[in-house]
Amino acid sequence: MTDGQVGAAGPGEPGEPAGPAEGAPGTDLPEAAVRRLESTAFSSGLTVPDFAACLDLGLQPVALVQGFCVMQWGWYGQGSGYMRGMSPYVGGPQSAGSYSETYRCPHGFVSNEHRSWGQNLEQPWVEAAWAQGYGSAYQRMIEEATAHGAHGVIGVVDRVSSVADTGTTEFHFLGTAVTVDGGPPPAGGVPWSTYLAGQRLTKSIEAGFMPVAVVAALASVRVWAYCITEYLMEGSMSWGSPTGPHLIEQVSKAHMAVRQLARKHVRQQLTGDELHGATIDVVARELSQGDEVIDCTLRGNRMRRFKDFDQVELPRPTVRLS
Amino acid sequence: MSTGFDPGAAPRPDVRSEMLLGARSLAAPAPPSEARGITSDLSVDEALLLHAAGWEPLDLVCGVAVVSVPVGVWNWGRGAISLASDAHDQAVDQAAAQLRGECSKVHGHGVVGVRVEVSVRTHHIDVELVGTAVRPIGGKDARGTDAAQAMPFVSDLSARDFTLLQRAGWMPVGLAFGASFVYAPRRTAGTAMKQTRQNVELTNYTEAMYSARESAMEKMQHSALHTGGQGVVEVKVTEGPMSFARHAVGFTAWGTAVRLVAEAHQFVKPQVVLPLDDAVVTFDAESLRGGAAKGRRR
Repeated sequence: MTDGQVGAAGPGEPGEPAGPAEGAPGTDLPEAAVRRLESTAFSSGLTVPDFAACLDLGLQPVALVQGFCVMQWGWYGQGSGYMRGMSPYVGGPQSAGSYSETYRCPHGFVSNEHRSWGQNLEQPWVEAAWAQGYGSAYQRMIEEATAHGAHGVIGVVDRVSSVADTGTTEFHFLGTAVTVDGGPPPAGGVPWSTYLAGQRLTKSIEAGFMPVAVVAALASVRVWAYCITEYLMEGSMSWGSPTGPHLIEQVSKAHMAVRQLARKHVRQQLTGDELHGATIDVVARELSQGDEVIDCTLRGNRMRRFKDFDQVELPRPTVRLS
Repeated sequence: MSTGFDPGAAPRPDVRSEMLLGARSLAAPAPPSEARGITSDLSVDEALLLHAAGWEPLDLVCGVAVVSVPVGVWNWGRGAISLASDAHDQAVDQAAAQLRGECSKVHGHGVVGVRVEVSVRTHHIDVELVGTAVRPIGGKDARGTDAAQAMPFVSDLSARDFTLLQRAGWMPVGLAFGASFVYAPRRTAGTAMKQTRQNVELTNYTEAMYSARESAMEKMQHSALHTGGQGVVEVKVTEGPMSFARHAVGFTAWGTAVRLVAEAHQFVKPQVVLPLDDAVVTFDAESLRGGAAKGRRR
């Protein structure tokens, strides 16, 4: 099993044994897995309509392939290598070019409790940990598909969930490995992958778009509220805080930034290809005194245009008599 | 462009050979590219339909705004809670402006399929708009390219509805929003006591709901006119007491403001189809001979 980066289109890294070889000498596969891999029966996670469409397209299902990775989030507070959590002024491995914005209190010195500084800060270490977990699970699924001699993986489903309240996150990939009848293996022998299956995949191919890989990225921004943000978010009245409705600039900018960062991270994986069927999910955890952590996940299908677009005729509107 | 459907005119392409063509394109590593790839949240169907209508997706765009609600706004009172309504309007305007800004940056002429998320909290109102920036293929726009890029339309219509609307001679011009929050007046202690054992309408809540509704709908229609629209389609409403202040009711309405760009409305005559895969009603042959006449559906 290898650690990987999601959406990697190049050759996969060679596998390394990760545990005792029970079933097959020289491999880390359990005995049952060896029997499964040697079986001539195929397995697939496709629905019957998707299975039929897959055969129409000249794709032969080979196996239901999966990849898992369970990650523990590190401690980012005092004492950690990251040294975040005490103050944004405490140093840490902030990557060059990552997003940050600082806000200054307009009141001058008021008290030690007064929030005289504020900062929106991208958390690259959180993003890297997520990418590691997601990428490793993805790469393991792709490795399974490669072991089956597959050309691609269709109908990919990914799930990211908390295993328990211990800061542990499970990444799970599942898809159906397929071969293309009479088709050449993909470059480097690394199978392509897509969330699509069935008629949706067929339409994409007909339209001239070939799936390259599923791509995803997480962007994380920490909001350290300064006094004005604190007053506005918590509804406390204080000197200098507006009396009417007011745009909470720091939080609004953080929300925009986290979405822009997610798109930037995904765009870096596209290398000129297109992203189709993107979904964007945002989770904002309000902490206290206006502080927030905002995570944004963006995922979709990286597609490559392999022929000029065949413009379809506008379909005729219909009314069903039923 | 022909809009008729002729089954004989366009034979279905051989999908197997198309698939092989696609597989061969991945057999060699892709040449390095500096091109800015398209991103979109449209489904394959929507993207194809947009192309058929002469539009192409450009980029996934967002607009977010968080606006504060002043302290004490939700406390007991009378009439409309205008500060909360103002906060809502400000959040929507700001988010829409950001969405338009992102659209203009990628030279889009509008945003379709906008997903609208509004969250009303005690101390702030959050509005999030996410959609796909689009432009006409070839860049030709009836409004003029510069004007279109300077003021892109924003629409929460799906690409399918956008295409149909355009075919009927209409165009979206922007999102029309209206929100109103109103206090439900207290019942007197005597009235509350008297009504305890009765099935009775709480007219204070009903009236507050009507009041909020009238105000929100009026604001939405005003907002449509303000953006240059003639009307609003696909209006969505949310209503009910606020979860954190049960004595206040809120009513929110939004939709896509549209205006007629053709000389007259173009009638879209749909073809009536009778699907053959629907449930079929069968009957028992025994019923013909006076037996149990039971139709059954399978």
